[in-house]
Amino acid sequence: MIAFDRVAKRYPSGHDALSDLSFALGAGEMAFVTGHSGAGKSTLLRLVALLERPTRGQVTVNGRNLGGVRRRGIARVRRGVGMVFQDHRLLLDRSVFDNVALPLVIIGAPREEVVRRVRAALEKVGLLEREKSAPSMLSAGEQQRVGIARAIVAKPPVLIADEPTGNLDPQLAAEIMALFGEFEQVGTTVLVASHDLPLVKRMGKRVLVLEHGKLIDDFKPYRISP
Amino acid sequence: MNRRIGKNRPRPAVPEPRARYSLRAWREQHLYSLFSSLGRLAARPWATALTLTVLGFALALPLLFWLLVDNARGLAGDVGEASAVSAFLKADTKADAVQALAARLRARADAASVVVKTPEQGLAEFRDRSGFAEALKVLHYNPLPAVLVVDPRGDPDALVTALRGDPLVDQVQYDAQWRQRLNAILALGSRGAQVMAALLALAALLVIGNTVRLDIAGRSEEIAVMQLLGAEAGFVRRPFLYSGLWYGTFAGVLSLMLIGIVQVFLATPLTQLAAAYDHAFAVHGLGLAQMLAVLAGAAALGWLGAFLAASRHIVRGLPG
Repeated sequence: MIAFDRVAKRYPSGHDALSDLSFALGAGEMAFVTGHSGAGKSTLLRLVALLERPTRGQVTVNGRNLGGVRRRGIARVRRGVGMVFQDHRLLLDRSVFDNVALPLVIIGAPREEVVRRVRAALEKVGLLEREKSAPSMLSAGEQQRVGIARAIVAKPPVLIADEPTGNLDPQLAAEIMALFGEFEQVGTTVLVASHDLPLVKRMGKRVLVLEHGKLIDDFKPYRISP
Repeated sequence: MNRRIGKNRPRPAVPEPRARYSLRAWREQHLYSLFSSLGRLAARPWATALTLTVLGFALALPLLFWLLVDNARGLAGDVGEASAVSAFLKADTKADAVQALAARLRARADAASVVVKTPEQGLAEFRDRSGFAEALKVLHYNPLPAVLVVDPRGDPDALVTALRGDPLVDQVQYDAQWRQRLNAILALGSRGAQVMAALLALAALLVIGNTVRLDIAGRSEEIAVMQLLGAEAGFVRRPFLYSGLWYGTFAGVLSLMLIGIVQVFLATPLTQLAAAYDHAFAVHGLGLAQMLAVLAGAAALGWLGAFLAASRHIVRGLPG
């Protein structure tokens, strides 16, 4: 579902964010990308979502070689990739419901379907009763859950998250990570970047470790019960 | 942490999301954009009013100028084909010499007709038309010369030259000359109106483009999020295009209102002016078709300005 083949990314500033990175993630597989800050985690995710283009190598998402996607085709690729951001990027002038509904409105889903699927997504993240609230009225953990509901509402085959627990306390962080674990179980390919290695290890999923833009480890820890 | 045992059933991916939904959804989205963009304009009434006023003036000015030229052309048309050449003869010319000259002129191929106006006829005409009857009574003699009015056939230049060279002729008046000058002035005015319209339309385009650009800058986070979620360029652009359309349409309405106000103010003096002339000319404004054309043109201008501004911004959000 996500495959990197000898991918390198050098930013115009001359900084090599990724070099010679190869890995593959199967459909319905969940993995974490970890490493110190600046190791290239964000760049990796940005390449999956076509926010950046690689300097060298080939990125394949949902069976599509992104190198062959022109500017006009970017939107379609992104519709197949649900994104969760550290700073959640909710629209503060719209209600929780409207925020979650955005991906469906974008594809022109009929109103009844929007209502049904937004409610389902909000229920999944446990925020159904807050659908009319403004995002600013929610706690940081709740805002992040709204962000997750928005990422999964259109049922994209791939879900990526960049430091989704970066702003949360350990308890909330563990809850959010568990939520991601649930999406894997319904067949979504999930790739989460996080620098919180202890938390990542507790999840018992595949872990890709980056250092200075290179993949230095790819392992699956034994699950440790919390 | 509890973990449910996963049902690893593969879920159908979302295929071709664009094509899945019907024309109805498409229409609903457009209607939504149409009215939500109107709502956004109404949410900032002062800024919107200011922009619309600038646009309204920019559109009204060339229209007014064009109307002026168009009316003047109508007026010139009323004067008719006043192409006759009038030759005022010297005052002491005898009547038979006048007739002889008229006969010579009639023989020319480039004179269609020659009318002789004797000094007596001239005096009678003058008395009737000028209201100088009392003053003329004071004169002991008839000061008016005999006049030959020649209607030229074809190019009148040779005829005019011949008359000017004739020893009996005191002065030649050729009406077509001032008509040519008037036509040239009207053509210049008409071209001027076109140039002014083009320049001010460009200004209107820039004003709308800039207004939409500011609007876009104010909503850049929203646009960025939409693009992250996979919105097509058309979807992101649509509300701004409708804003531009509204700006253009309202500016068109405003410019028509401005023209209407100017007409109301000028109606009385223009009617007086028309009455003072023998040609009772009628001043005309814009017809219904022309008004609709103004509205359509203004709306198109607004749409185009918004399109240019929005397209530039949207491309920036996508890597090449």
